[in-house]
Order: sequence, then structure tokens, then C-alpha cells
Amino acid sequence: MNQERASEEKPYRRLETQALLQQIALRHGLEAMEASENGHLAWVTSGFPVEIPIALDMGVVYPEQAGAIVGAQKIGPEVCGYAENLGYSQDLCSYARASIGSTEKPDEVPIGSLPTPQLLLACNNICGTVLRWYDAISEMTGAPVFLLDTPPIDKVQLPHNQAYVRRGVERLIEFIESHFNRSLEDGRIREVAELSSRATKLWIRALEACKNKPSPLNCADRFLTMAPVVSSRGTEHCVEFYESFVAEVEERVKNGIGAIRDERVRLLWDNIPPWHTLRFFNILASRGVVFPADTYTHAWTGNMVGTDTLSIIDEVVETYSKVYLNMGLDAKVDKMCQLIKDYDLDGFVMFSVRSCKRYSLGQLVSKELVTERTGVPGVIIEGDMVDSRVYNEAQIETRVDALLEMLM
Amino acid sequence: MSYEGVIEQSIAGLKELLKSGEEIIGYIYPHVPLELFMAHGFTPSLVRALPGVASGFEESLQTFACSYIRNLYSQRANGQFLTLAGLLFPGNTCDSLQNLGDIWSVRFHDDRVLRLTYPVIRYNQDDSATKFLAEEIRLLSEKLSKLYNRPFLAENYDAAVDFVQEFHNGTQFLYSARVIQPEIISYSEVVRLVRTFLTIPTASSMSEIKETVSMVQNKADELGLSDSIETVQKAILSGDYTKVKLPDDLVSPRIVIAGGMVEPQAIASLMNEIPNFSESFIVLDLLSFGFKTVFTKSPTKSDDPFIAMAKSVLSAPGEPTHEGLSYRMNAMKDLLENLSIQGLIVCEQSFCDPDQFEAPSIEKAACELDVRTIRLPLDPELSDRGRIETRIQSFLETLE
Repeated sequence: MNQERASEEKPYRRLETQALLQQIALRHGLEAMEASENGHLAWVTSGFPVEIPIALDMGVVYPEQAGAIVGAQKIGPEVCGYAENLGYSQDLCSYARASIGSTEKPDEVPIGSLPTPQLLLACNNICGTVLRWYDAISEMTGAPVFLLDTPPIDKVQLPHNQAYVRRGVERLIEFIESHFNRSLEDGRIREVAELSSRATKLWIRALEACKNKPSPLNCADRFLTMAPVVSSRGTEHCVEFYESFVAEVEERVKNGIGAIRDERVRLLWDNIPPWHTLRFFNILASRGVVFPADTYTHAWTGNMVGTDTLSIIDEVVETYSKVYLNMGLDAKVDKMCQLIKDYDLDGFVMFSVRSCKRYSLGQLVSKELVTERTGVPGVIIEGDMVDSRVYNEAQIETRVDALLEMLM
Repeated sequence: MSYEGVIEQSIAGLKELLKSGEEIIGYIYPHVPLELFMAHGFTPSLVRALPGVASGFEESLQTFACSYIRNLYSQRANGQFLTLAGLLFPGNTCDSLQNLGDIWSVRFHDDRVLRLTYPVIRYNQDDSATKFLAEEIRLLSEKLSKLYNRPFLAENYDAAVDFVQEFHNGTQFLYSARVIQPEIISYSEVVRLVRTFLTIPTASSMSEIKETVSMVQNKADELGLSDSIETVQKAILSGDYTKVKLPDDLVSPRIVIAGGMVEPQAIASLMNEIPNFSESFIVLDLLSFGFKTVFTKSPTKSDDPFIAMAKSVLSAPGEPTHEGLSYRMNAMKDLLENLSIQGLIVCEQSFCDPDQFEAPSIEKAACELDVRTIRLPLDPELSDRGRIETRIQSFLETLE
């Protein structure tokens, strides 16, 4: 692949609203610090029903997002190394290693280490690793872990599964109420659920705008702008951000402006991105390759509506049980085929992330199934999202070139 | 008997069963309700990774898949699996096994893939986890009835509860006897009996266990150790070691083997290869296919069968696949401290999330008690056998 060109001739267009992201990140960071100092900061996994702790006035931060920041700063190997020095294997999830490493040496990771938690909230709808990772953080910080267990489902959620998860959500509320001496108010949870729902709807609008040709957003755009819907859904400022964002995206669509200057090939991206090498997408942009859809950012599309606490709990149970990674291989293949059809894509790239087994094991099979069902070719590239030591750029280039030869 | 010999014996036993017309349901995760399969007239058989399995996984699994599932897949791809009526995969235990079940269904679509999904929570102080698992077991039971036209028979279930209970009682006694006097019976022999029963749970494998128990019981009576053994068995089951009194003349070093789905027989075979050291240094293992299966409580007949089986499965001592790291570490520390353990060998399956996440905590907990540890990354093929043996030897030398 060619190197990225100088800025004035960049093949991709920068979003104006990206500037707002920095403000949101700063605000989020300050709020988290304050919550930690006041003794009510929760670390939360990305698939956790964050509406509950927010409605209970807990501060929340997302270690996965902090891992992405560590990756983007290209300090992944060093920070993961701190965890490895504590005995955590290099085979383990690099988000977890980055988190354990930055908790061990926060002063060495000024951007990417999180304020001390008073509570660790894990939901295993994204993987089983989160519990073990949070257990490790609990050993280091003394904060208790609450696990919301959402057993994987195959096609439909059976009543006993639903009842079990529902009881888990009720226990979560009881747990926070008793540990932090507060109570969940009906009006407040409704307000938070409503804000969360509005943010998610706006996010979905932006994603769906990418069905247009040219696509107004590329993968890297979505990976960056997904931050608020992951970290701040349920807040006013999150909704405000997405209102501006959607306005810009729809303006692009209206004027036929694409995320890249010369869109020739449209591909699907599967899995977490290599945060340390987001320029991968920009380099491909220079060859006319855009990624209008991906399975990762489409994971935050659960939409909660409800009229009171009980109905909102029902929504939480359904929404958070049916996330992409909590469904079987068939559901994942269905989703990819649907995205390829809806977004009129020419092929797909599967990033086989060494440290994310839930997402990656099965890709060799699903690649064949997706091609069989859609007729479009795909390629698997291997690496890691944070730990660049296992990202072989030359090998990846060769594989992607082979795919593009078929398409161009 | 060598490790390879034990494997051959198990396979031969399975073949004989198949020849006699028995239908076998294989299972991978050790904590399954054996009684359920027996109630439906099946023979449940624990399917395990084997040494010496050539590659074969590459078409479907990446190299970073856990070495255990790679081995299982390769066995199947290479035609090394016997004909099973069905194969049960666990759900919600670890990501690798979760995804392997899906991959298996696609690649080997003639195989009957069954699934039992487990709750991860354990300490929630309500019965939601038990109810969830009981319903999963009931649905599995319905599936067995429908797929194979073999109903759940109450009399079979009752007999199975007694039968499996005998296995637990007998092997718990043997494990406990070794805690008091490791020379009373070799570790290899105990884990061979456990392995044989889990592979072929028949009257003949049970009678071998009973004969061995009787022999050890006699020896223990002669040595006046029977009461101490019983006390250890109760202490391990209850977690209360206050009544345990170990003999004054314990032989050092006393070693415990920690880890997950690692083959106890493989560990015994490694230890036996080390010059000047004996496997009698192994006092106990805490492995999934050993201790954690043996010290699972049996279902009680007074409960509804599905609730009873769920309670039994959930009573298995701490697996890193579920919540409760601090409970597990405290339980392990109690055990190490009260059973006078000097060394801990921590086995980690390569690319196994639960093992590799737990290992630093185990090391730390042991260190707090001044129990020395060594961590051994292993794969089922023992591909680095020479180096592993050298490391164990060096470790044991530090304990002398």
C-alpha cells in the first residue's frame, strides 16, 4: 500500500464535528475524576446497561475506550508490558492488559489511565474475558465487581434466560443502591433511557446514511465518533453531539460529498479496528476503498424505550442480551450478509484480533459462509487492536492487495 | 501404567462399549449432570485432548485459539473420534469453547451438537442461577427425548444418582487418603481410576474404584489413619479445616498442582520422568478433571431432579470460568495452609483465558503464605516436554 499523502491532498475528508469530540472527552474525563474523588466512580464494560448506574448518579468510564486511546497513542506494547510484568500472559486481551498495566503504573500513562474506581460493572454479553479482567482490577484497587451475566443466546431469548437476566438487572440496582446509599427514581431512569434512546437513534441515522453513494463516513470516522455513544449515552451532551454529527453527515449526503474523495470499492469491516494503525483506512482511501459499514460500530444500535422502571428493565434485558457478540455464529453471518446487501458492498475484510477470542474465533468459517451467501469475496488479516507487536503490516498489505485485485 | 497406556485402555474400553450397542454422548466441560444422560439410557463419556495429535485445526481455527480446542478439533478432523451419538458443548464458560460449538456445527454437520449453557454467577444469594441451570438441563432432557426417542426414566435416574454418588465418595476418599499419606496409593493410580470412570462410567470401572478404596481403607485402618482421612474429606467439602490434624511425620516436599482443563495423568507422567523425585510429592491436584470433578456434591433425591442436578453441578469447587476470584483464592489459601503444602505448580493451558488470567492471582495468594510456585504453560501435546521437566526438577530442588 502507498504511504499516506501530504495533508493538502489527503484522499479522505475530515469531519468538522470531530473537534467537538475533544470537548466531550475532556468533559467526560473531568467528570470521572470528580466522581472518583467523591467515591462513586464505576468502571463499566462497553456492553453494560450504563443507563442504570447513570440513573443512580454514578460516574462511569470505559476501560475499553481507554485501551483504544492507549493503542492510538502507539504505547500499547509498553503499557501491556506493565501487565505482563505482573504475570499476565501476552496471549490475553490487550484491552485488559492495557487496563491492568495503566492501573499498575498510572503515572506512566497520563492519557489512557483511568481514575480509581469504587465499583467495577461487567456484563459478559461482549465476552467472558471482562469478568476475569475486572477481577484482576478488583484485586489491584479493592473495588467490588458486579457481574451482569447474560448467557449467550441462539436466535431467540428463551423465557428462563430472560428471567435470569432480569433478576440480574434487579440485583444490579439493589447492589448499587445498598453500596452507595441511593435509590432509583422512576422519573430519572425514564429520563436517562429517553436520552440514551435519542443518542442511539441519532447514531443509527448516521450509520444508515452510509448506504448512500458515496458513503459520507468511512470506518475511521465511525470508530472515532462512536466514543460518546459508548461512553456517554444517557446524557444531554451525548445527544447534542450526535445532533451536530448527524447534521454534518446528512449535509454531506445532500451534497453528494463522500468520506473519501474517489469512492470506487465499498467494503465491510469485521471486528475491532487496529487502534494503533487507523491510517490503514486512510491509506486504502487513497486507492478508492471505503468501508461504509462494519460490525463493530453497529453493535451500539440497541434502542431503549420504556414508560416506567419495570418496562425499562424489560428493555434492558432484551437490548443487552441480544448484542452482536452474544449471539451464535449464524446470527453473526446473518448480520454481515445483511450489511453487505443493505450497504451494497463489494467485499469484506475480517480483522482476526489475536487477543479477542469471542469476536475472532469462527471467522475462518464465517468468511466462507458470507461469501457463499452473498457472492462477494473477503479476506482475513491478523493482528491486534492495541498491541502492535503482533501487527504485521507487510503481511496485511499483501492480503488486502489480493482482495483488491479481484475487485478493481 | 504409562499415560499412553491409560489412554489406549480408555479408548479400547469405549470401543468395546460401542460394540456392545451402547450409545455414547460425549462431553467436553467436566461439570455436567452425568445422571441426566444415564436417566435417558446413554453412557456419558468425557472427551479430552490427547497427546500426539497431528494438526488439522487450521481450516477452521486460528493459531491463537486455545490449545485445548485446537486439539479437540484436530482429533475430529483427523477422524480420531469414535462414533458418538452426540457431543455436548458448554455455553458461557469460556469464549473458545462457546465458539467451538458453533464452528463444530458448521464443519461437522452430521454430528449431533448439543449445548448446555451455564450461569457464571455463583454468589448472588438467591436461587436464580440454580433455576436457570435447572431449566437448561430440563431443555436438554427434552431434546434428548425428542432427538433419540429415549425418555427420561425416573428409575434410571435414581440408580444413576446412587452410582455417581459412589464414584464421588470413593474418589474423594482416595484423594483425602493421599493428603494424609501420599504413599498410601500413587497419584497416577488415583487419577487413572478417575479418568477411566469419566471415560467409561460402567459397573466394571466402578468396581475397580471400589476394590481400590477397600484396599486403601484396609491400609488406613492398619495405620490408624481412617479418622484423619474422613476429617480431611469433610474439611475439603465444607471448607472448614479446624478439625484437620495431619500426622507429625509428613514427608516433604508436599506439592499441589493447580490449573484448569489440564490432564492429571499427564502431570503424573511428567513427574515420574524426573530423576530422583517421586510423584508421591504430589499431595493433591486442584484440576478440573481431577479434584474439581471429584469433590462435586451429588444430587439429592428429595429435590426435583433438574433442580437437584443443577445444584450438584454448581457445587463443583471453583472454576475460573465463573465469578468469585476472591472466594477461590481464599479457599485455596485455606487448603494450602491447613494441609501443610510447601509448593504449588500452576499449570496454564496455552491461549486459555481462564487459566492465564487466574495464574497471577494464584501465584500472589501462594506467595502470601510463603508457598513457592512455578507456572507451567502447557499444551495437550506436551510439545515442550523436556524443558517442562527441567523446570519442574529445578523447582522441586528449591523445595528440598
